Amino acid sequence: MSLNRILISFSMIFRMLIRRRIIPILLAVIPVVFLTIVALTTSDRILPFRLASLEEEVFINISEKGISFVFFAVASAGFLVSFLALNLIQKNSEVNRRLVICGYKPLELLSSKLLSLLVVILLISVYVGLLTNMLFPIDHLAAFILSLVLIGLVYGCYGLTVGSLVKGELEGILFIVLLVNIDVGWLQNPLFYAEAQNQVIIQLLPAYFPSQTGIISAFTDYSPVNSILKSVLYGAVFLILSMLLFYNKMRLYR
Amino acid sequence: MILEVKNIAKSFGKNTILNDVSFGMEPSTLIGIVGENGSGKSTLLKIIVGEWKSNSGNISINGAVGYCPQKPLLFDQLTVREHFQYFSAAYNINRTLFQERSEALMNLFNYKKYEQVKVANLSGGTQQKLNLSLALLHKPQLLILDEPYSGFDWDTYLKFWDYTKHLISEGCAILVVTHLLAEKARFNRIYDLRNGILV
Repeated sequence: MSLNRILISFSMIFRMLIRRRIIPILLAVIPVVFLTIVALTTSDRILPFRLASLEEEVFINISEKGISFVFFAVASAGFLVSFLALNLIQKNSEVNRRLVICGYKPLELLSSKLLSLLVVILLISVYVGLLTNMLFPIDHLAAFILSLVLIGLVYGCYGLTVGSLVKGELEGILFIVLLVNIDVGWLQNPLFYAEAQNQVIIQLLPAYFPSQTGIISAFTDYSPVNSILKSVLYGAVFLILSMLLFYNKMRLYR
Repeated sequence: MILEVKNIAKSFGKNTILNDVSFGMEPSTLIGIVGENGSGKSTLLKIIVGEWKSNSGNISINGAVGYCPQKPLLFDQLTVREHFQYFSAAYNINRTLFQERSEALMNLFNYKKYEQVKVANLSGGTQQKLNLSLALLHKPQLLILDEPYSGFDWDTYLKFWDYTKHLISEGCAILVVTHLLAEKARFNRIYDLRNGILV
């Protein structure tokens, strides 16, 4: 592995991302749209709900608007990053193969894509975190931004896995939309989760621990360390899977 | 021998594409492989460069390979210069050498004025020139060209043949695969790929 080659590839990937104007525009606009819809449609009624991932039974009272801001902030970050990761892996896959034929190692290319994804995750997380905090004061902003980074990692690595596994763009988008909608967009909503049947199914889904980290850090003084560690573990599983699939896709037979 | 292809076979399901294909190339030779569309020419090249796996047979390559695919495989959002920079990293070429060689290739094929232009804004012919230049950047010992001059104008076509003469004089072996072969006198040997067999 050559650090110089990883950095050159990273700089090229980042240039390509920025030059496709629709990407920076979507990254800036989608969170604003999500959060504006929340501001316009949710009420200020106070709802009690249980913090699901804590060992002890803790109930908190939060406004519907507040919980919706946090939930949609996490959802928009996860949604954006998974699409971007899918795009990073699927777009230009034939040219990437040519680079491998010319001497790049598949792991060098994947590392540069991961580095690009990480930078984008950090930018999105800080942006969405600050935006949410402007609309609803977050108790622990740094930890909340960390929860957005975690959802980005988990869903980014999921996007990389889908992109390495599925060749067609449409099929890839379908895989992303299906899971993101069911998981982040619906089941992890605390208002739904509080009364859901078979909660263990929801706890097994990728967005569970990042969402819990977000909720705990946004509304309480409890430690989210347990949720953070489990989020990282979940992300690592997807990361290893995506690395294996990408390597298999890019390797040469000689 | 710089390239030795031995008993290569490739099938997709029940459809046999290549059947016991063997040939070799010495340095400073120009070999052509012709065949109709769908005869398996590109499949054979993809197996030689390692992109696809053959069902049986061996390939041995002794030296750096330059591969120019049929369709320009380029990044739409990167400029010509950035392509040279990216591929130089792949070939492990240092900065001074990369600048020297990329300048020479852009001047040779007359597209230096597009150095800072994104590929998406280049004509098909200029994309083809860049596609070929990227295969030449590291001065390979074995150059594999899949329909290399399909988008060239007459002037570039002539420059291409002049340059191949120069490469051959420096010891490079060149394999050209095409469905239509002119300039037959330039080749040391021409194979015809028919029904999966080289004749």
